[in-house]
Amino acid sequence: MTDTVAAASRTGRPIPGAVRRLPEYLAIWVPLLLSAAHLISFALWTIWISFTPSTLVPVSGWVGLRNYTAVLATRNWKIAFDNLLLFGSAFVLLSLVTGLMLAILLDQRIRGENTLRSIFLYPIAVSFVVTGTVWSWLLNPGFGIQKLVHDLGWTSFRFDWLVDRDMAIWTIVIAAIWQSSGFAMALFLAGLRSVDADLVKAAQIDGAGPVRMYRRVILPTLWPITITVIVVQLQFAISTFDLVRALTNGGPGIATQLPALVVYDLMFQRGLLGRGAAAAVLMLLILLAVLLPYAAWRYLQRRRATHA
Amino acid sequence: MPTITRRRLLAGSAAALALPAFARAQGAVKPRLTAISQWSAGSDGAAITALGKKFEEKGGVWQHSPVPGFTTEMMNKLRAQIIAGDPPACSQLKGPEIAAWSKIAPTVNLDALVASAGYEKVVAPDLAKLHKPGGKWISLPLQIYSTNMLYLSKRAMDKAKADKIPVTWADFNDLAEKMKSSGITYPIANGGTRPDDGQKFEASLAGISPTSYRAAIMNLDKKALEGPEIRAAFAQVRKIANWMDPNMGAQPYATNLKRFVDGDMGMMIMGGWAQGVLRNGGFKFDDYIIAPGPSDNGKPVFLLNADAFIFWQRSEPDLQAGQTLMAQLVMDPAIQTMYSQITGSIPVRTDVDLSGDGWSDGQRRTAAALKDAVANNQAVLSLAHNMAHENGLTAAMIDVLTEYVKNKTITPEQAVTRLAEAVEGAR
Repeated sequence: MTDTVAAASRTGRPIPGAVRRLPEYLAIWVPLLLSAAHLISFALWTIWISFTPSTLVPVSGWVGLRNYTAVLATRNWKIAFDNLLLFGSAFVLLSLVTGLMLAILLDQRIRGENTLRSIFLYPIAVSFVVTGTVWSWLLNPGFGIQKLVHDLGWTSFRFDWLVDRDMAIWTIVIAAIWQSSGFAMALFLAGLRSVDADLVKAAQIDGAGPVRMYRRVILPTLWPITITVIVVQLQFAISTFDLVRALTNGGPGIATQLPALVVYDLMFQRGLLGRGAAAAVLMLLILLAVLLPYAAWRYLQRRRATHA
Repeated sequence: MPTITRRRLLAGSAAALALPAFARAQGAVKPRLTAISQWSAGSDGAAITALGKKFEEKGGVWQHSPVPGFTTEMMNKLRAQIIAGDPPACSQLKGPEIAAWSKIAPTVNLDALVASAGYEKVVAPDLAKLHKPGGKWISLPLQIYSTNMLYLSKRAMDKAKADKIPVTWADFNDLAEKMKSSGITYPIANGGTRPDDGQKFEASLAGISPTSYRAAIMNLDKKALEGPEIRAAFAQVRKIANWMDPNMGAQPYATNLKRFVDGDMGMMIMGGWAQGVLRNGGFKFDDYIIAPGPSDNGKPVFLLNADAFIFWQRSEPDLQAGQTLMAQLVMDPAIQTMYSQITGSIPVRTDVDLSGDGWSDGQRRTAAALKDAVANNQAVLSLAHNMAHENGLTAAMIDVLTEYVKNKTITPEQAVTRLAEAVEGAR
């Protein structure tokens, strides 16, 4: 209000609200529109390419759904899709549990909490390529953990998941959890700290023990955060690329293929842009299958809130 | 001491700037070459750096940008440059990819240069064909490898008390068993990469029947692809896989070179480039023997892999002069000698004498094997190293091969079906 008065007194005429707020609009809308245009135009372009016979370079033409049927028929894609289901669910679930456990343990007003929190959060600051490479050394049976245990004298110890094609996908789960459970922890910790202190005190007065307190009072308030963590981790799982590339490179053989790896492989290793684009569009559809229900849920939440 | 005035300085710089322009006007442009390749380090890097030195000695400006990694990584840069309308004057490229890529950007017709060097007469015809799609020379092969050379560790041979170089697959299998029973846990030194797995298969099939290899793998004949030789080749690959170190993951073969030389691993099926890597790693020629890969009919089979340069059309006179100079250098027997002696390959020219000091016995055997193989129609194009087909089809086939090597529950019969299906799906 005072702003309007001041502006009006300088020019002698009141400035309309829209003009006065122009800088705000510019600051918000220009970058937003630019990035939306950027994103959408490339997505549309990829969708277009997926219907063309493009190989080494993009060309125009129309082949209908041929690229899609070709991609869906390959073993690579089938393996990648199965792996995504396994990796996605295992990773999200386990990182959720690990993050929550870490958060609860840190929430006990312990000494050195800041240091510990930094340590658990630190892996996020590391590039996935570094994580993948380091874990590929640790997990290599020839010179990693298995070798260490052997050298300590337990020679029948076996931990060769990295080169076992049935278990190799779990090495990616391990590395991914190491990297990102700190993120879940940070969100949960913030949630735990924002639980209404009166609620906790009331429960204490009623004689609830710590286990019961968490189960009945605190954790139920965390579920919006849980949903957020699940969605963020899922979209990470679907687009995982650098971690696998550094850790197993899709191997042994093609046992740890993931959709993003297939897209890259088709586009840039095999020189089949059309099929690569088709695989990319399929990935986008999987992402939408996660994000659309989330958006719908958010919308319903908000509507319920305003109605209430 | 004369003081340098501002005016004098200006006059001087103007003269200095005008000088190259003057030289150009005289028709003596300084040849310049922009080149990209995957050769950045080790013996490959050393070889191309040496080539660059020769280029500079002839008065040229050498601008090489290496893109480390597999060939496909280099291709991504090439694609980006072509789409941007700024291709390098010259780039590495090989096999059927030369024909494929020449369709997306204009190339230089090298016919006159090749003719004046009399080069066509000294290049194997099959090889020449790959480098002149549409009948015109647009690329030049630089060096040749056979992907199925058999490396024997001297120390492992001593441990197994063996001194005979295996000729057939049966000999090979006997030797591997012998090594195993003399305490060598892994008779085969291997890597875990895709080309590595592919090589095991192509060496097996070509050694069992080069005719079947040509029909099934090169010509994709449906009947040959499901033939008994393919099954036999997969069975041989399984034997080899069982003798390999299963802890290799996706590591390159070079990881095992020390264990190989030390005699902890016995044999290696690898291209001649491993000799360059071994030499660059400080190992001696006496540490190992290189012989042609096993061949059941006793005559050497040569799985051809050749590196080449393709020349992209540029309008700049200095780049054009650079392309001419580069083409002349690549065809020069002295340059090919220098290059092959560093990398462990053999020269493309069939008229180079390999009896000199700089050559190893392995290289002499490789060159002799090529001559024999060409004479007996047993020189075939390598699948694993992208000489037989374009990348899309090759990769689809290697998917099957690499999965088979790593997954011991797949039977040879299943593998035959899968390979035929992969070919069908990728065509």
